[in-house]
Amino acid sequence: MKKFQPWLTFIARLILGGTLLAAGLLKIKNPSEAAASVRVYKMLPVALANILGYSLPWLEIGIALLIILGIALKKSALAGGILMAMFIIAIGQAWARGLAINCGCFGNGGVSADGKVHALTYFTEIVRDIGLVALAGFLFRFPQGKFGLDKFATEENHGNK
Amino acid sequence: MATSNSGKPDKGLRSTVIGMVAFVVIVGIGFTLISNHSKSVLKLPATVSKADGYGIVFNPTAKPVIDIWEDFQCPVCQRFEAINSTYINQVVAAGKAKVVFHPMSFIGQESVLAANAAACANDQGKFLAYHTLLYQNQSPTENSGKINSNFLTQLGGAGGISGSKFTSCITNLSYQNWTKNIEVDAASKNINSTPTIFVNGKEIDRKTQYMDPVAFQAVLAAGGVK
Repeated sequence: MKKFQPWLTFIARLILGGTLLAAGLLKIKNPSEAAASVRVYKMLPVALANILGYSLPWLEIGIALLIILGIALKKSALAGGILMAMFIIAIGQAWARGLAINCGCFGNGGVSADGKVHALTYFTEIVRDIGLVALAGFLFRFPQGKFGLDKFATEENHGNK
Repeated sequence: MATSNSGKPDKGLRSTVIGMVAFVVIVGIGFTLISNHSKSVLKLPATVSKADGYGIVFNPTAKPVIDIWEDFQCPVCQRFEAINSTYINQVVAAGKAKVVFHPMSFIGQESVLAANAAACANDQGKFLAYHTLLYQNQSPTENSGKINSNFLTQLGGAGGISGSKFTSCITNLSYQNWTKNIEVDAASKNINSTPTIFVNGKEIDRKTQYMDPVAFQAVLAAGGVK
């Protein structure tokens, strides 16, 4: 474990950061669709959902860059993990309330084309996000990895700040 | 090979990168929020008013009111148009309802071009004909490059619209800001998919009333279309 851990941390950074980066990049080109994907979850007032929808892709990109580069990794992994946990709650409540929507995670949000609730899709999305939360947890626990820009992250871990 | 275990803490590099990333994020959010804000001074197509959510209005004083949010690149809208447009056009022609078209552009830049061109056609009094032509010639893939100034001008020719005013309206993207205002208005009204149809301010039932012409005409009749 000791020998492989820096590599595992590196791979975890690529998977979690890469997923977030793809999700953000696919959405920035289309802000009105991104805003609609937040509105359909019906968790926020429309005006607030729109602001979050316009901002979320950029936040995803920002957190993704920090994770991939390995900067302030404990904090950026924590932010990524919290983001994923929020997505799990959003999808879970949509499923529980029977909202017929697309995830919109990588664009293509909105009401599902056939107007139906796709339980299997909700399930797989939640499983995927739980996996990503687990990766964030791993990074939080083991932030020292290969090719990390931030050597300070190492100190931080030892110092347990 | 250097791992992050070696070397001294490098606080400067860390702060620099965090600063750069934060800059990108803040500028990105700021730009997105500003550009998705309704403009108050802009060029509007004919028969458009702010009060109707910047939609293109037919029979402004008639009742009931039917609102149609659509995107010319959306395949479901194409199906809806194929099923119901003959009836909708009859309702418009007979003045049986106020009908408001909101051409959205959430699918991408080619939707903006198409919505702009539809507004140009509206200035020539040919919105409905052009509307049908856009759907009949929809590309099976979104933003494929098919919809451009040339294509949109030629489409006008097929619908009997020509002239330098129409052509320059398309090539200059005269109503680009207007297409943005439609998007912003739709966002504020919680329009989350296309097509979305309101009768007297209330959405009809997505599961049963969009794609069945009998049910669609019934719900319009129930709303007051005689």
